[in-house]
Amino acid sequence: MTIFVVNPMPDRQLTLCYRKIIDAGATRPWDKLVLDDSYRELRMQAQYFDPAKKYCTFGELLHHVPAAERLHGLVGGSVVGYLQQLGGLVPDVLDNLGRRFLRFEHFQFEVINSDWRDPSKHQVAVNFFSEPLRWLNTVGPYLIVARECEGGGAAVLHTFQLQPFLAIHSLQELSADARPDDAR
Amino acid sequence: MERKYFLKSLLAGAVSAPVLLAACGKDDATPSTSTTTGTTTTTTGGASSANCTVAPTETEGPFPTHTPSSYVRADITDGKTGYKLTAKINITSNSASCAALVGALVDIWHCDAEGNYSEYGGSGMQSTNYTNVHFLRGRQTTDAAGLVTFTSIFPGWYSGRATHIHVHVYNASGTSLKVTQIAFPEGSGSAVALVNGYAKGLSGYTYNKSDNVFSDDAAGIEIATVTGNFTDGFVLTMTIAV
Repeated sequence: MTIFVVNPMPDRQLTLCYRKIIDAGATRPWDKLVLDDSYRELRMQAQYFDPAKKYCTFGELLHHVPAAERLHGLVGGSVVGYLQQLGGLVPDVLDNLGRRFLRFEHFQFEVINSDWRDPSKHQVAVNFFSEPLRWLNTVGPYLIVARECEGGGAAVLHTFQLQPFLAIHSLQELSADARPDDAR
Repeated sequence: MERKYFLKSLLAGAVSAPVLLAACGKDDATPSTSTTTGTTTTTTGGASSANCTVAPTETEGPFPTHTPSSYVRADITDGKTGYKLTAKINITSNSASCAALVGALVDIWHCDAEGNYSEYGGSGMQSTNYTNVHFLRGRQTTDAAGLVTFTSIFPGWYSGRATHIHVHVYNASGTSLKVTQIAFPEGSGSAVALVNGYAKGLSGYTYNKSDNVFSDDAAGIEIATVTGNFTDGFVLTMTIAV
């Protein structure tokens, strides 16, 4: 029998990062759109850093042309339209009720691998940075967090597990008098 | 927030139902795991109750739509302050006796009034708000006359370089044809003199003849024609042969 211990702790504010990897195994339409469009954009923009076309893979290009680090941001900038179609909700990460619950405004796009001769090698990641959440408690593997509601209504609580590719990105202690009564 | 989410999910359900019906005929997706429509999710760790992870149970979102690269826009200002500049760039083909090049992709980018570029960091956080992500950068396709037009602001300047606009021309399939830069005319009465570097002034400015990119351009073929004034805005016209 598993016994869950409820740990009382001071209120902390956290943000989460979810790193969504997209590669040739992607089946969902959104993932495939981001993968295909980012491949096309990467191949176009990489030519600026390698006009003599000496390199055929992203890895080689980065190794020989350090300025090509800019490609993460340049290619990410071109897929902002798809990020906006998510409506501010981080994909894949579910709370214990089976719903997406993390909201985001910031992301960081990464080109992981790519090969101009072989589209199947193209692999990217979208790092989603969540809005700040108040970390109220931990029950076994479950974190209980609260999202402040506008207009001072009761806070919305979510119960979720840390899962692969999900991590705490930042932590901040909150002072005791910052805790509103309606968060409980 | 809770109510907004609830209403949104109702609407999404209503929109996606016909799409689901159409898809059923085309593929053999079973209703359990990943369906081909919408943005519902499967957990990365699997969905069996034995290992206590929840299966996604949400209303299907609307089918994602293919969007062109977010660089494709004629107005690249993104709210940046500065004197209005209309850039009209004509692309011609060297291999076709300088005929207009139709259907070519033209990227331009330049710095803002303070001399800063968007996306220079490369690995920093980006925002779903366009204005932070790629201000003063855009892409257009040449029309039947080989022309592209951008609405922007007059560029600022930064140490070591004369005022310039970067240009990258590709053919319709994305193969690079030319990477170049556009220089600005100088001298009294020129737009560069009038704008006077915005708040910076022009102290320490690098003029074209000292600029490491433009200094060897004795014939001035990289220099655009710039007309206009503060009231009506400035107009830049330039022909680039690829």
